[in-house]
Amino acid sequence: MAAANSFDLVVIGSGPGGYVGAIRAAQLGLKVALIEKAPHLGGTCLNWGCIPTKALLESAKTYDKLQHLEELGFNAGNPTYDWGRIMGRKEGIVDSQRKGLRFLMKKNKIEVFDGVGRLAGPSKVNVTGPDGKVTNIETKKVLLATGSRVRQLPFAKSNGKTILSSDDVLSIAEVPKTMAVIGGGVVGIEFASLFGRFGTQVTVIEVAPQILPSEDEEAVGELVKHLKKQNITFEIGTKVTAIQDNNGKSASVTLEGGKPRDFDRVLVSIGREAVTNDIGLELLGVKTDRGFVVTDSHYKTNVDWIYAIGDILATPALAHTASAEAMHAVESLAGKNPTVINYQANPNAIYCYPEIASIGMTEQTLKAKKIEYKTGKFPFSPMAKAKIENATEGFIKILYEPKYREILGVHIIGARATELIAEFALGKILETTVDEIGQTIHPHPTMSETIMEAAHAALGHAIHM
Amino acid sequence: MANQIEILMPLMGEGINEATLVKWLKKPGDKVSKAEPLLEVSTDKVDTEIPAPADGVLVATLAKEGDVVLINSIIGHISSDGSISASVSTATPSASVASKTTSRAQVKPAPAQASSIRPATPALVPTSSVRSSPLVRKIARDLNINLGYVPGSGLHGRITKIDLDGYIASGAHHRQAAAHAGNSVASAPAPSEALGKSPRVQTQIIDGVECLEKNPVRREKMTKMRRLIAEHMVESVRVSPHVTTVFEVDLNRVFEIREKHRAAFEAREGFKLTYTPFFIHAAVEAIKQHPIVNVSLDGDDILWKEDINVGCAVALGNGLIVPVIKKAQDLNLTGTARRLNDLASRARNKKLLPEDVQGGSFSITNPGGFGSLTSNPIINQPQVAILGIGAVVKRPVVIDDAITIRPMMLISLTFDHRVVDGEGGASYLATLKQILENYSELPL
Repeated sequence: MAAANSFDLVVIGSGPGGYVGAIRAAQLGLKVALIEKAPHLGGTCLNWGCIPTKALLESAKTYDKLQHLEELGFNAGNPTYDWGRIMGRKEGIVDSQRKGLRFLMKKNKIEVFDGVGRLAGPSKVNVTGPDGKVTNIETKKVLLATGSRVRQLPFAKSNGKTILSSDDVLSIAEVPKTMAVIGGGVVGIEFASLFGRFGTQVTVIEVAPQILPSEDEEAVGELVKHLKKQNITFEIGTKVTAIQDNNGKSASVTLEGGKPRDFDRVLVSIGREAVTNDIGLELLGVKTDRGFVVTDSHYKTNVDWIYAIGDILATPALAHTASAEAMHAVESLAGKNPTVINYQANPNAIYCYPEIASIGMTEQTLKAKKIEYKTGKFPFSPMAKAKIENATEGFIKILYEPKYREILGVHIIGARATELIAEFALGKILETTVDEIGQTIHPHPTMSETIMEAAHAALGHAIHM
Repeated sequence: MANQIEILMPLMGEGINEATLVKWLKKPGDKVSKAEPLLEVSTDKVDTEIPAPADGVLVATLAKEGDVVLINSIIGHISSDGSISASVSTATPSASVASKTTSRAQVKPAPAQASSIRPATPALVPTSSVRSSPLVRKIARDLNINLGYVPGSGLHGRITKIDLDGYIASGAHHRQAAAHAGNSVASAPAPSEALGKSPRVQTQIIDGVECLEKNPVRREKMTKMRRLIAEHMVESVRVSPHVTTVFEVDLNRVFEIREKHRAAFEAREGFKLTYTPFFIHAAVEAIKQHPIVNVSLDGDDILWKEDINVGCAVALGNGLIVPVIKKAQDLNLTGTARRLNDLASRARNKKLLPEDVQGGSFSITNPGGFGSLTSNPIINQPQVAILGIGAVVKRPVVIDDAITIRPMMLISLTFDHRVVDGEGGASYLATLKQILENYSELPL
């Protein structure tokens, strides 16, 4: 007899990897349980990541627009904001999505266990609830989707007041006058662009020679120009040696070879680390490498019944990547034969202003790998719709292989980059070449026409230049 | 307004998506009546006549002789009242099926008037429609690779660049026939390696004459049938390890039965009773005891077939055709003879239908008719065995320690050693020999 706590699949972690995997498994007729240790479903993405930050960034964008209403013909005086209501709106969006997730779990008959899930033995998982009670679960398969947590500086742990992680900063009570952002990765740059536009004097400190090191140099160079107009200054190639809290009022940051500088708040955004400790990996002998779980191309670990996806793998730590991996893993463990994910077709999206979105390889990577390529580039500035939207910043750059014109990489910087990249995500999956992009009729007037223009530029016949 | 009727290239069997227009049997202006033969076409399976779809006058032939035309393409027009209406000159080929499979419409509409119909250009048709990507198609076109041979790993078997790269790296594309790359006969590129081109065949032009090793040659394009046979033979030898085993059969008993029944048989059936139906019938009876020679292989799966469909090779002078006696297991000798007579006469008169030459599960070839004692034929893929019938020769043989004269015949079984072993092949022939030498009159 199957016990009550017996499942076909147990998913540990309810982020965009875990919950998507759970739903897909339920659709395929599996009896599914989902374990979440946080009070709410949705993982980092919904509670401390994608959704709340983009809600705040939308407010920053709107505030920025309000500053330029004169250009659009409005006499709006001097617009002001109410930080409490901006944060309230963000919470409202997050809360509504959380409720939506609970509904989806119920609809798909997925049993949700609150607590910490751990591998407990062959076909066994246990859950330690918030009250310390342990529930044993039997399952045929497990999908590990435990995600990641913010990485702390060993010499300056966040104190929640002056030294903040990206989790802490989402509940910041007011916009600080000055802020140091340690780490110029995606999270750091988005928060810098957020607070900079609300008036904070932001200093971004990055140890690498370029902020957003994995993005295309040319796109990042363009971005830095615009960020500098948003009250942001940069300390590039610079190491932080100390951060000192000043009685909970401010914190001082010491750069290598420099004197301590005071900031109202310090955001430590030096990346994230996979949650692979204390989930029973060692007990079952699940193989890891440098803190990441190792899987095959169908996300199966070295232990036959254990699958893993998302931020605990060495693949890009992105919500949409985790979702795609989870769908694949579940379909695979359910006996389907899904197509192996092509990470060259996995888009990146950064929601600073202007936005940056990219897919495939950067120009510096192509050079380093000595891959022959050509460039088709077109700016937004001559495009009618860009002028209409008052968003003429940026460009679209297509890097392609010269013979068959395969698209090797696309880098977009501009107001709607994160939406525009989707065309190339489809293009990459379909193995569309520059020719077909150029042949595609784009609606006029739109920002998306710039995609066609960039393709035409690649083919040597840009129309609007 | 004249009623214009479109003449479409008909579908002539599963998997056939093009046909060569061999000959118009009527000229524009000729009267035609419905079901009267209008043109001859040739496919990779069969040559056949296409009847007129309606009574009227043939007013336009849009495809010319020698063109390779997609199925369902308009190849001409018949006017029901004989007048040539304007609609002919402006007619667009509405080959909807065709236009989905290829971007090149192979039959162009007449530009101005029916009398100046532009000759149709030969079609470039993929041999099968496969899912792939623009990038893959570009590379395949460039390297002359038929994507029908490339396994796809993408959604619903879509061929991705990784798949194609893997295929190219495996060297498999070198084995592909240029013909398989989807080119028509007329535009077929240089002979491919799949046709067995030897690197030693390097001609030179000497004093304006093409020579092979200083020997003047005349270059002639293979007919479509010839080329398909060539490809099939090369492919079969590549796929199947061929083994041949030979038995000798005393046909005395068959001779006696035939002599006894031939007059009555001919009077009853209206055609002569030959030896071939005996061989086919006996071969089928032997298959019933040795069904392993009636299988096909799918990777490492053996496909056991319910029906015994016997293909009988018929020489056509410029090639050969293999009409198939379907469900031969249900036929007695007379039934077999009737079916054979029907197929053979239709083959000679080019009246075979595409389904007549499809679906064979076992083949018989009879080079004995040309005097050959025995042969080493090539298996007709995807079958696994072919029976060779040698010439019947009267020979002195030793029976019961006495020398006597008997009509003797060599029979050979060439089989695919992947699935049939020497013992299997020999025991099949042993059974066949036993049946022929002890032929029962009952099946008559």
